[in-house]
Amino acid sequence: MTSASAKPAQHFLPTSLRAAIIASSYWVVSLSLTVVSGSIGAALGCLLACYLIDTGIDRSPLNKLRTATIILASLGLCLLGLTLASLLTNTSLLADLGSPILIFNSGEFVKWFALAGALTLALRTLAQRTSYGAVIEILFVATAFVITLSAHRNGMIHRPFFIGDFALTRGIDPSSILLAFGCAAVLSLAALLMLENNHRRLPYHFTILGLLCFSLLFYVRMFGLPTPQLTDDLGLTGQEQAGNSSQRDNPFRDSPNDAEDKEAPVAVVVFRDDYEPLNGSYYFRESAYSQFNGTMLDYTTRDDMDQDLIDHFTNARIETAQLPKAEDQRVPVRTTIGMLISHRTPFGLESPIAYENRPNPNNLRFKRTYDTYSLSPQYDFNYLLGREVGREDWSQEVWDEYLTIPDDPRYTELAQSLIGDLKPEYAEDPFAKAWSVKTYLDENGIYSLKNEHAYETDPAGSFLFGDLTGYCMHFSFAATYMFRSLGIPARVGVGYSVPASNKAGGSSLLIQAVHGHAWPEIYFRDIGWVIVDPAPQQTLVDMSTDPQNSLQQLLGDMLRNDASFDDFLQSQQDSLIDFQLILNGLYLILLTTLLTAYCVKYYRLWIPAHADLKNQYRLSYRSVLDQLSAVGLHRNFGESREQFAARASKLAPSIEKMTHQHLALALGSTEKTAYSQQQWMELRKAILREIQLNAETRKKILAGLNPFSWLLSK
Amino acid sequence: MSPDSINEVSELSQDIDPQDTPNSSNELDSAVTVLNKLMSAVKQQVLGRDDVIELTIIALIADGHVLLEDFPGSGKTTLAKALGEAIVDSDPTAVRHTGVADDFIMPFRRIQFTPDLLPSDVTGVPVFDSNSNAFHFRHGPLFAHVVLADEINRTSPKVQSAMLEAMGEKQVTVDNTTYPLDELFFVIATQNPLDLVGTYPLPTPQLDRFLFKITMDHIDRQSELDVLDTYKQRRDQQQQKTTVSRDEVLSARRQIDAGVVISPAVKTALVDISRNLRDDDRVLQGNSTRSMVLMLPALQVSAALRGRNYVSAEDIELLLPRVLGHRIELAPGVVALDKVLADAMRGPMEQLARGTLS
Repeated sequence: MTSASAKPAQHFLPTSLRAAIIASSYWVVSLSLTVVSGSIGAALGCLLACYLIDTGIDRSPLNKLRTATIILASLGLCLLGLTLASLLTNTSLLADLGSPILIFNSGEFVKWFALAGALTLALRTLAQRTSYGAVIEILFVATAFVITLSAHRNGMIHRPFFIGDFALTRGIDPSSILLAFGCAAVLSLAALLMLENNHRRLPYHFTILGLLCFSLLFYVRMFGLPTPQLTDDLGLTGQEQAGNSSQRDNPFRDSPNDAEDKEAPVAVVVFRDDYEPLNGSYYFRESAYSQFNGTMLDYTTRDDMDQDLIDHFTNARIETAQLPKAEDQRVPVRTTIGMLISHRTPFGLESPIAYENRPNPNNLRFKRTYDTYSLSPQYDFNYLLGREVGREDWSQEVWDEYLTIPDDPRYTELAQSLIGDLKPEYAEDPFAKAWSVKTYLDENGIYSLKNEHAYETDPAGSFLFGDLTGYCMHFSFAATYMFRSLGIPARVGVGYSVPASNKAGGSSLLIQAVHGHAWPEIYFRDIGWVIVDPAPQQTLVDMSTDPQNSLQQLLGDMLRNDASFDDFLQSQQDSLIDFQLILNGLYLILLTTLLTAYCVKYYRLWIPAHADLKNQYRLSYRSVLDQLSAVGLHRNFGESREQFAARASKLAPSIEKMTHQHLALALGSTEKTAYSQQQWMELRKAILREIQLNAETRKKILAGLNPFSWLLSK
Repeated sequence: MSPDSINEVSELSQDIDPQDTPNSSNELDSAVTVLNKLMSAVKQQVLGRDDVIELTIIALIADGHVLLEDFPGSGKTTLAKALGEAIVDSDPTAVRHTGVADDFIMPFRRIQFTPDLLPSDVTGVPVFDSNSNAFHFRHGPLFAHVVLADEINRTSPKVQSAMLEAMGEKQVTVDNTTYPLDELFFVIATQNPLDLVGTYPLPTPQLDRFLFKITMDHIDRQSELDVLDTYKQRRDQQQQKTTVSRDEVLSARRQIDAGVVISPAVKTALVDISRNLRDDDRVLQGNSTRSMVLMLPALQVSAALRGRNYVSAEDIELLLPRVLGHRIELAPGVVALDKVLADAMRGPMEQLARGTLS
């Protein structure tokens, strides 16, 4: 009975430690994938599975099953849990009964509980029964930590934001937290590895590793890390090249909106004036493709074209050469833009009329900050009907440039066929014509990031007359060519388009890589450049992003650089623990501990020479024991003084004599002291000399340095 | 380390060493001399059994009894006989008993226990004397200094209980008359651990009367050779043995009792070990308080034998397994007595060792 009951108790600590480590790795993995209830479910499922496997192994029926059976059963359990979770969330009856949030949360809970439980069951079983199982388990935990950390590689603000945000709002360098994270991972993995082995020395190993990690942290805090190279390589369309290379990349080839990095923040916009776009999206124009270069549209090389654009940054205010018209249909909007990655030219809310440089509130975070003054449209499309196109002061050459299309008659043919259905009263109306082209693309085009037109000479033609599957570049180029074929001056605007809903009622708006966009524009005589953006009804790719409200607000506040941001920081620091203080406290404690340890060490060495005879037996013996434990000889638990003396006499033969004297006084009568003060001192010095003579040099050096050696002598 | 430096150190340690046994009084020295004499006398006769001889003498001085568990022909009788003959009566003609001159105390008696033995065979019996026309008590073999109770588990419980009284109370009662035994009454009982058919295993209360139960192993090869070599010599030299007198033994007992200190820390350790044993799940029944009381004089003797005037952890480590081994009953299925004892001892012994520094 005793052996059975003793066994689990003996293994309780390592087992629960292992369970906690695996559960924490589930927690870390689940954080970015689910809500809090899901994370809790994952941790609980993992703990339950660990409990079943480790504690119940002697009693539970599990140990009678074959490994394969358990693996299959855990797979079945996982499927069962997933089914249950989907039933929970998808049954409208339940959603009606409870609140939908509650149902969603419980669904997530069940799902993650089942996932983590089943996986842990399989992992633990394998780890216990096979030689390679432990490796899989450790790899799993390592992967969990690595995935979480890799999102923060190069010090980027990136998903998941919580670690970086957490640090930034409290004025802590995120690298400290990430390092602490790494240290925790190292410790967890080391603990897991050690659990596979003899765990009697575990606390010792653990302390050493902890000290190492702590000193690493200390080093980084003292001397810092090399500043990470913030990468610009976020896979954006042509905008992010910092160098002014005049050689433009083919916009069809550099895979815009790379799905992997689609959520990377690009810039943050703070609205100084209230503005809601009528068409549901904020458009930020950066540049435009307007001149046909023989194969496709490109940035214009003429000074008299696209005079509403600004193609360089300045240190002062710069205004566009050409202002949009119909000012009664526009509202002035001032926005402040902070670029998180480098851009070649400034962009601004449609239609920008002036840019003004602003002091950068945070050089580490923002590449460039500036104000944009825009005249933003407030007209609806009815207002565009019956308008004339083109600007009156355009020369014939400019007109021609805006109407040039590839040498392909099919554009004209298709465009003509599209406007054939127009009602007679609109047959000659430019906007109506353009609208029918847009409608055609809306209804027939398929939005997809994967397409087969990239290496065609005319990708737009290949798209339009082929499978009609492509992304914004294809749509906008095709539309522009068709507009032009109908005599409407048009160009492709390039920049960002952000759904108005992303603003979520606040005044800041986060632009992410996914928002990079291109759209066709038409010039109306009394209005200016008007965006006529095709919106394909069929789409093969989900370009929606989760709203990043907290980051959006955080960056917005940072960019605004006003008192509210400081207040926010203050509130965050007040409401939670002051980490700086804790850290400093820790250092102080560490330092005090070291100093105290040294003081105690040398006090115990010094005191025998100054104590009276009555206490000599105790103090002299203790100082000798300190010396012995400093060179690695100390009494084991339960070992008697005589046994220890016999063991230590190989190093210092006089210890046996001293032990004898010591015990005679400690266990015999303390009144009669056979030794004089002088004799005690000489015996003590004799032993010290013997230790000096016989101990290894390495141990002697360590003996001088180790502040805690006296803790071992007892 | 150079040889010179070794010499230097050893010289120095000699310089500062005024006496080997600190605080030892002359009284204790004479007691130790008696013990050593006794020991060397027995060692002349029994070879290769130094540990058993030491334990037996400790038990003798500590006023306890010994149960030897061994195979036949391993020298039990030789040991008992040698011990008995090493103690001589200082005044052989003295009459210390019931006034009957013929019944003086023998140095050594041996009783071979058999199933048909009767209590009166060991205690003695009243005999009718036609001359005086009265009964007078004829002393049995128990009236001796050293009694060898051979194969004690072969006799009936009736005889065993008579032994029990004699060992516990140092007296025998026959026909409602109580006869005291000598102050120096020492029983060495033996039992064969294997041949158990037709035996009456000793009940726990009777086992509790024995201070030590000593399980003997076969002696080592060299000692066995020595036994064969010196057999004749030892047989012929019966007469020229070193002896100690009964009074010397008794005074050594008193001197050790007075001269060897048992510190409170040692007593605490003993009590804590007992409590640990009683709390241990592997132990069905722990040791009695009496066992601890009996153990104290044994610890003192052990300390004195090692030239100390205080009881130390060393003594506990030596004696505790012998004292408690036959007193605690292990739960069914648990066989590792050594481990149980070691587990129970570790904590209190650590406390004892640490306590010396505070």
